[in-house]
Order: sequence, then C-alpha cells, then structure tokens
Amino acid sequence: MKGKVAIIGYGQSHHQFDINRTREDMVFDVVKEALKSAGISRADIGTVVTASSDFLDGRTISNVFLSMAVGAYLKDESKVEEDGTNALYYGMMKILTGAYDIALVEAHTMAWTFNPHQVWFYTLDPLVERQMGFDDICLSALQARMYMEKYGVSEKTLAKVAVKSLSNALKNPYAYRKLKKITVEQVLKSKRYYEPLTDLMISPLTDGCAVVILASEKKAKEVCEKPVWIQGIGTYQEDYLRDRDLLKLNSLKKAVKTAYNMAGIKNPRRDLDVLELSARFAHEELMIYEALGLCKEGEGAKLLEKGITARNGKLPVNPSGGALSADPICATGLIRVIEAVRQIKGEANGYQVKGAKRALAHGQFGICAQKNTVVILGGER
Amino acid sequence: MRQVAIIGCGQTKHSSRRRDVSVAELVAEAVYNALADAGMTMKEVDGIVCGNMQGFGGVAQPDLWLGDWVGANNKQVIRIATGGTTGGSVGQGALYAVASGRFDVALAVAWEKHSDSKEAGATTGLMHVGAGNLFLALNYGLSLKNLIATTAVGAAAGVAVYQARCYMHRSGCTIEHLDMVSAKARRNAAKNPYAHLQWPNCQPEDIAKTEIVAYPFRYGHICPASDGASCIVVAEEKIARKKCKQPAWLKGLASYSDEENQLQSEGYGGVGVIDPSEQMGARMSAKKAYSMAGIVDPKKEIDLAEIYQPFPSQELIFSERLGLFDEGTAWRYMEKGETDIQGRIPISVSGGVNATNAIGSSALQRILESALQIMGKAGEHQAPKKIKNAIAHGWGGVTNYITVTVLGDSPRR
Repeated sequence: MKGKVAIIGYGQSHHQFDINRTREDMVFDVVKEALKSAGISRADIGTVVTASSDFLDGRTISNVFLSMAVGAYLKDESKVEEDGTNALYYGMMKILTGAYDIALVEAHTMAWTFNPHQVWFYTLDPLVERQMGFDDICLSALQARMYMEKYGVSEKTLAKVAVKSLSNALKNPYAYRKLKKITVEQVLKSKRYYEPLTDLMISPLTDGCAVVILASEKKAKEVCEKPVWIQGIGTYQEDYLRDRDLLKLNSLKKAVKTAYNMAGIKNPRRDLDVLELSARFAHEELMIYEALGLCKEGEGAKLLEKGITARNGKLPVNPSGGALSADPICATGLIRVIEAVRQIKGEANGYQVKGAKRALAHGQFGICAQKNTVVILGGER
Repeated sequence: MRQVAIIGCGQTKHSSRRRDVSVAELVAEAVYNALADAGMTMKEVDGIVCGNMQGFGGVAQPDLWLGDWVGANNKQVIRIATGGTTGGSVGQGALYAVASGRFDVALAVAWEKHSDSKEAGATTGLMHVGAGNLFLALNYGLSLKNLIATTAVGAAAGVAVYQARCYMHRSGCTIEHLDMVSAKARRNAAKNPYAHLQWPNCQPEDIAKTEIVAYPFRYGHICPASDGASCIVVAEEKIARKKCKQPAWLKGLASYSDEENQLQSEGYGGVGVIDPSEQMGARMSAKKAYSMAGIVDPKKEIDLAEIYQPFPSQELIFSERLGLFDEGTAWRYMEKGETDIQGRIPISVSGGVNATNAIGSSALQRILESALQIMGKAGEHQAPKKIKNAIAHGWGGVTNYITVTVLGDSPRR
C-alpha cells in the first residue's frame, strides 16, 4: 500500500439501552471523547464518514440530523450503510487520495428504536426468502447445526464460546451483557430460540456508538506519540443465501488473504498477538478461527478447548468479550478495531494482553456473515 | 491523488412503473449497459460502490441479494446512502476508491424503484425524517407547532416552496421564469431516450396552464417519481487510456452539508431566521471542488452543468451558488436562452431531475450525464460546443446536503 494511515484517537459509548438519551446525545459524547483522546479539535477534521442504516435508525436519510453531533458541520462527509469497518475503509481511502489529512469515522445503532432482528428479516429477497418467514437467528441456527454435524461439535462447545466471551466481558466497562457467574450449564439452560442456539449464545443487541480518528502518515507523526497503523485491510461480499454453502465463509477467506498480504503476514498464529472478532452467534467464532487460518478446517473447537484463544492463552481472541457481550450492529466492527487499538497501545485496563503489538479486528454484515471486513493493526515496529 | 476517469456509462429507461423488471433486473440493466459502453466485463472490475434510499423500495440492504445479479458476489461491495444525494455520494465513493489505489476499476451503481412500495416513498419515506425527531421533541419538550414543522420540512416539496419564495423575493425572479425552466427540462428530456417526462417543444405557456399545487409551484413544475437505475465505470489512468478514446477525467469533488441551518431555524425552535436558498453547503462544496480542479473562475471555465433540480427554482439557485452566475441573476441568463442546449452554458441538457427522478440514482445521473457530454456520447442532447469542464451537482439531506463533482476532458494537473 502506498502511503500509510494511522489511528490516532478513539472513543466508544457504554453499550446499553437508554431511552432517555437521543442518538445525537450518544454520538456527541463519544465524538468529544475521541477528539480528546487524539488531542485535536473539530477544526482539525478534514472529512467525516459515518456508518448506520436507515432501517436500524428508524428514519429515512438517517445521517441528516447527525451532521452536527458528529462534528461534520460544514465539512466533507458521507455515510456508508453497513458495518463501521467499511466506514473505516472509506475514510482510509479518502486519506490515501491525499484530499484530506484527518478523517473522523463514526458508527452507531439505536437498537431501541427499531428491532434489529426485524431489519435482518427485511434484508431477505422480498419475492422468495422473505415469504418463507426466515430470520437471522433461525438461519444461523441452521448454519450452526450444519457445522456441528459436519465436524462433530457439541452444544457444550458452543456454550464454552459464550462462557469465554462473557467472562472476559466482566472486566470490560463498556460491555452490556455482564453476568456475575457464568457456567456452561447456565448457557445451555438459557432460553432456546432455535435449535441449538440459546439466548446466551446470541449477541445481545444494544444501543452503541464507536468513533475512530484516522490520519495520514505525516499528520499522525506530527500529532500523535503512539499512532497505531492500519497495516492491512480487506473486505468482500459473497453470494446471497440461496447460492451459498453456509459451511464456508468465503468472503472472509478472501478478505483476510488481502489483509494478510498487505501486512506481510505468513503465519497468523505466530504473527498476530490478539484478535477481536464480530461473532454474532457462538458457532461463528469457531468458523471464523478456521477462515482466518488459525487452524485447519473443522478444528476451531480444538483451539477453544485447549484454551489457546482464552484471555491468558497463546493467542487471545475477544479479550473484551466480543460481540456476544454487546452488539450495536453497525458499530460492532468498529468497536473491535478500537479494542484492538487499546491492546496495542497498552490501554486495555484489566484485560490487557501482555506485549500485544499486532492485532486483527473483524467486522461483518448480513445474514450468516455474508459480508466480511478484516483490519490488521500494528504499532511502531 | 492518482488520475481517475469515467470510461463507461449505463442507465435504464425511466418511467413511473417499470413492471417489466424486478429491482434486481433494473439494476442489472444499468450495470450491463455501462460495462458494454466501456467494453469491459465484470471480471475486470474490482468491486462496486452502490446505494439507494432503502426505505423507498421496502427492502433493507438490497445489495446483499441483488449483488449476485450484477456479478458483485465475491467482490468488494461498499454501500453508501445519504438521501437525495445518494447517487452523488456513491459516484464519489467509486472515484475515491480508484483514486486511493485500493481499486483499479470500480462501478458506481445507484437505483430507485418507487413503484415497489405500497405508497409513494417520497411522501411516507420522507415523513420519517421528521418522525425520527419525535424522540428529540419528547425529550426536550418542543411544542406541537415545532413538531409539525419538523415533519413538514422532511418532504422535499415542502421545503422547496420556502426556498423558492426566498429566492424569488431576493432576486426578482417570477413564476413565469419557473415555467421557462420546467418547459426547457421537458423539451430537453424529449431528446434523451432514457428520460421520464418527455414533452417535445414544450413551451412555458403549456406549463403555465397547469394548476398551482403550493405557491409558487404548479403541477407542471414538479418532478415525477421514477423507476430507474444508473451506473458508471471508473478506472485508473492506464486502463482509462487503453479502453476509452475520450474519458471523462475527475478534476475535483466534495460533499458538504449545512443541516445546522435547519436546526437553528425558527421552525425548529431555534432563534435564527435562515434562508433555505442560502445553501452554504453548495458554496463550500463548489469552492473545494474548484480548488482541487484548479478552476479559478467558474464563470469562464465551466462549460456545462448538470444541476439537481427536482423543482425549477433550484436550477436557478444552485447555478448561482456554484458560481456560474452572480447572485440573483441566473434567471436573466436563462431567459435569454444562455442555458439552452445550444446556449453559452448549457444547464441540465438531459432534462435533469425535473424530468426524471429515481431518487437514489438522480445525483449519479448528473455525474453520468456530465461524463457523456465530455465523452461526446450524449446523442441527440449533446451540446454543440466543446465541453472542457463540466460540473455535476447533487442536493439532498433535509435542505442542505450537497455533492459537487467536477469532470474534465483532460486529467488534473
């Protein structure tokens, strides 16, 4: 990649339901926090890219009244309608053209205004799948069952993914789902939505906002002591549901190949120190391990059971608790980026992975992770 | 920034109801027309930047399933949506994607299929812009009067009426001038095979016969709601030179908004009395785009403009805000015929949004039509003069969200 882009500041909300606050209130506070963390003011921002969806925000042209809260007043701006990691990609491209030095990237969801599961239902082809009454949970349950059958994975293993995430979340002040004691039995006993998925294996939808501030190489060195560099990025969309083998995450495989190539990563197990993944359902985390090349196909469960991906394991995955602890849809991927940056900067109080220098953050969009974005982040090396 | 050019353009025939195709087929029609125009296949494309106003078709993220129809599966797909300017933002997304070096060839794809919703999206969909502020109103205790005002401004015609009155008051433009602009749009559209409201030899008197809907707008002034899609092929310099004799080169682009204007206005409980024809976002976008393009005097250097004008007053307002005429004078030049196809500075020779409005696609069509004029491929509505620089404008948001793209017949210096 010609030219480098760095993350020089970030901020995130406490992911929760708070009907006493408007979307603008929530975004404004996080933007202020991010500007403060970057040590710059609104005047320094060149361009703004936001991520949200009209359906999830429950209003048409959802970006219009956000301009002021997000600091875009009389500035260049745009909005992507998907995961925040793609807003990051667009912001990065704007900087790479040289048109702007600093970009503010924001992503949010107000889950209390519109039921996000309903929105996933609306993403189905209105002439075919929507008529069949599918929704995102039921389709993911089918995917989970296919995966379990093929590789002999038990419900207990899925429960263990949830236990790992939710016990990590306890130390994360921003997480939403915090349960004091969490056991495999408890996960299995929680409300069953569709076989084999239970409540605690499904990401809890919340309100939330994430903001990242990007800068060109020159500007980053000027204003930031410890910039975190975007070393690689890849994003792909794969076939729609009916033409897709749900056992495969092909778009993720392509995205990660691009990102690894850009970052010069040959052996991810050795070259990465920590990973933050957007797994909306427990089984997805195992499938993502495999697509990222952390293990062979079908061996995701082994990686988990051996404790390699535990917080104190050899290759910690989701030390923040991941999407299973809070899932403000469009912001989820960008939160993963922020958590990866915190690890690299040594700012992950309470769940810091020692000596983390290089991290992978992952964002997804669409039913059964149809669209995936991978970001490789690293500090000064 | 590396050099970037538009090397292929494709659009669909527009009409109120394209019942012959589904939304996926509609989009595919535009995409394959564009690829054929560029002499390329989907194999050579790195990815697409796409968008529409998703509430209007009743489907969320339709690109997730209609991507397959245009061969975007297993490619990079970025969805961008910013309301009325969606097409402009999508076009700029593709231009940035190639300019940044992350893509070599990108498609910008935008569409709208109004007839898929039970009710016209432009009325119910836009109501939600204001309805979203119900929460704000409940929170901060705004009065009912203000709540009604916020809902009303959401609909484009509602705000455009205030905007037109402000402009007419300040400039001396009259309703007869609006008749002339709309008659010109209908006449021009008759020469554009893809346009919706085509009316050969339409005269201002014909428009003047239609009834007043909301003063100063007559029925004949108002844009239709169209089904349609458009697509441009954007490529980096080497490919552009190889594939295309006269590419339309990107010279400058920007997208600024001034929605604060709305929040500070009286109707929203603010204290400001702000003129909706002021359009600071347009002025700033133009300034930025011109400086990127190295254009010092747009009055002399811009040869053609495609203005987003669902209402005739907006063609006059925005041509001034983009610096093509002095403040308050655009109507005088229009009256003299300087903005006709064969005039000194042809404006909206495709008929523009006033004749064809598939909302998500409309602002991309402005870029597409500007590119066609530079490439010399506009056919019957080709301006008879040499087009060196053209400006494409998009208007959206509530009242003040703007995209401006400057294209030229040679690369940026």
